Amino acid sequence: MKFLCIAASVALSAVSVLSAKAADPIRFGLCYDLTKVYSFVTPQVAQAAKDYADLVNSKGGLDGHPIEMVVQDHGNEPQRGIECYEKLKREGVMVFDTLSTPVSRAVLPRIMKDSNILLQSLVGRGDAVDGDVFKWVFPIGPTYWGQAANDIEYIKQKSGGTLKGVKIAFLYVDYPFGQEPIGIIKTLAAKEGFDLQLFPYPLPGNDQASAWTQMRRFAPDWIISWSLSNMHVIASRAMKRNGIALDKYIAVNWMNEVDINNIGAAAAKGMKRGTNVAGGSNHPLMQEIIKQLYDKGKGNGDRKNLDDVYYNTGLAIWSIAIEGARLALKKDGWPLTSEKIKNGLESINGYDANGMIAPVTVSAKDHGGGGKTRIEMWDGSKWVPQTDWIAAYTDEVWNVVKIQSADYAKSDAAK
Amino acid sequence: MFFRQAGVYHTNYVADRALFPVAADRWIIAMILALGVAAPFLFSSLYLSSYLLPWLVWTAGALGLNLILGWAGQFHLGYAAIMGIGAYATVHANRFGVPWEFSIVIGGVSAAVIGSCFAFAALRVKGLYLALSTLALQFVMDWTISHVPAISGGTQATLQAPDIRVLGQPIVSDAGLYYVALVWCVLVTLFMLNLRRTALGRALVAVREKDFAAAVIGVNSFYFKLVAFSTSSFIGGVSGAILIGTFYHAVTPEQFSVDVSIQVLAMVIVISWGAARFGFSLSIEALAHLPQALYGALIISFLLVEPLGLGKIYKNVRDYLLVWPFGYVKK
Repeated sequence: MKFLCIAASVALSAVSVLSAKAADPIRFGLCYDLTKVYSFVTPQVAQAAKDYADLVNSKGGLDGHPIEMVVQDHGNEPQRGIECYEKLKREGVMVFDTLSTPVSRAVLPRIMKDSNILLQSLVGRGDAVDGDVFKWVFPIGPTYWGQAANDIEYIKQKSGGTLKGVKIAFLYVDYPFGQEPIGIIKTLAAKEGFDLQLFPYPLPGNDQASAWTQMRRFAPDWIISWSLSNMHVIASRAMKRNGIALDKYIAVNWMNEVDINNIGAAAAKGMKRGTNVAGGSNHPLMQEIIKQLYDKGKGNGDRKNLDDVYYNTGLAIWSIAIEGARLALKKDGWPLTSEKIKNGLESINGYDANGMIAPVTVSAKDHGGGGKTRIEMWDGSKWVPQTDWIAAYTDEVWNVVKIQSADYAKSDAAK
Repeated sequence: MFFRQAGVYHTNYVADRALFPVAADRWIIAMILALGVAAPFLFSSLYLSSYLLPWLVWTAGALGLNLILGWAGQFHLGYAAIMGIGAYATVHANRFGVPWEFSIVIGGVSAAVIGSCFAFAALRVKGLYLALSTLALQFVMDWTISHVPAISGGTQATLQAPDIRVLGQPIVSDAGLYYVALVWCVLVTLFMLNLRRTALGRALVAVREKDFAAAVIGVNSFYFKLVAFSTSSFIGGVSGAILIGTFYHAVTPEQFSVDVSIQVLAMVIVISWGAARFGFSLSIEALAHLPQALYGALIISFLLVEPLGLGKIYKNVRDYLLVWPFGYVKK
């Protein structure tokens, strides 16, 4: 066995040496869970990343350097994510994304030690938007705290500018993902004086019965829901059963067209979601991808994924990363280092991928890019924006961020 | 051929009770150990840090589970929870300022205390019922960690582990971390190998084979089950702590979830029930990289074809070679 291992390692290291020598391209590492928990979103995101890279490459790449997206599966297992990171790191990759909260938490200490870049949009530690503490982590896009605060702002707008006496239910799956916004929502409830009640339900979310019987008694004006994929379908069924109108439902960004179809496109009318990307394929960037790649049969996956909002999410993540690399090349030139890419990312100003995403302005202090989202409503056939891109209660959100990141900074300093 | 018994004389009790009376066994073990020690010079840093290191720690953890499963014959489906308790206790102690060497002992002891407290309740039932109640330990622990911020480190549920220091010396290099894992794995392997030469080991085997028969010959089966639970929990707790210190560098609940419990169980079943041979030369990490389906297939096929596992297959080959080419000799 040992000999096999040695032989295999010699062969593999020889391969990696060879490929390192030919490393003219700019490589990005997509360590994704393609087989387990996150497989409802990763194929679309990886497809978008490759498509966008192909689009940029067809125009000559970045300063002549082609972009290469390296995708590897980690099955949502922290140790395999670490293996993926360690392997790609040695192959010259400097920018990583794990798209998995457990894996991104496991990789983060190594990223910080090695001074590589971790993107982790929409997953992982929310407090990593604090660029003063998390120098190498870029969770570009909204934190769950910011997203929840923006939902509250939307409800405030709809309630005529005051939340006094408004009944808001927070429905969530009872594990860290769902628990995360509780603190900020409670803070805002105290500030704005709305009536808040929490409705947890256990994993895997197929049984929400106890939450909904209580919900019926509470008779909420609005329901903010921190749920994933099929949990929305279960929730919509429970709402019908309990006579609660579907248009009171505001989902976190993890609700896509597959879920809508599972509910029934017509039946889902009125359901809302917070999002940092515009849904649908009716944007200049998407149209360009369709024209340049899919119409010529050069797409990197199934064409029907283009109608899935997670494809747009993938475009958002990777167009921002590539924009950062472009700015880095423009400012500091080849060869790229992670320090240069970091500076490039931190100089992104008002980037919105041709109107497809909420405008992002990253700075050395704010690695989240402003945390703007908007509320969209399903009208039976498409998503209709209900608000502008908003970032509300930023002081309160940053307060939470600072408390959490200070704790990390303290434990980091203790090392 | 290799395993010549010629020249092996049992002229005194010490020689008779030696761990490896046959010279070839000693050589093989010495070679594997030498390879283990020389690994940082033989393998690339990727293989060292991402494959060999976690493999060693998981081997130690699997051996700890083997004590309760293979030796005492008691099912345990919550072993990852035990490892998690050790890991959290160690990190908290270490952050509090306790030196790392003492922190891992605190981690091991807390895992042992909680593990055996739980065993008091769980050992009132047997077989499948015991398996289910240990599974409950796993879920109780998952729930506790994610709902008690004082343990998990706030809503982020991530607790950064301080760099490990041995005798005041910070260990940061890949090779250094590897050696820490190697030392622990060798210690656990030595303990498990020697177990069969001790009264404790014999008592555990008696309990495993038939607990009331053991009681008839004067072995207090409840007491020895408890000892097995606490000892194996201690090993699990320290292994969990070492996994965090050398590999993850931050502790989160998902690292010790129910999936991990099942994986450790799969390691023990596939390696063997009750054999501590091959302590650290089996590719457990390679197994972890195969799809989930393979776990099931491996467990079922091993239970059907060779219930005593890879250890037994090794033993069969060895027994064959012991008398080769005189296969008709009674072994």
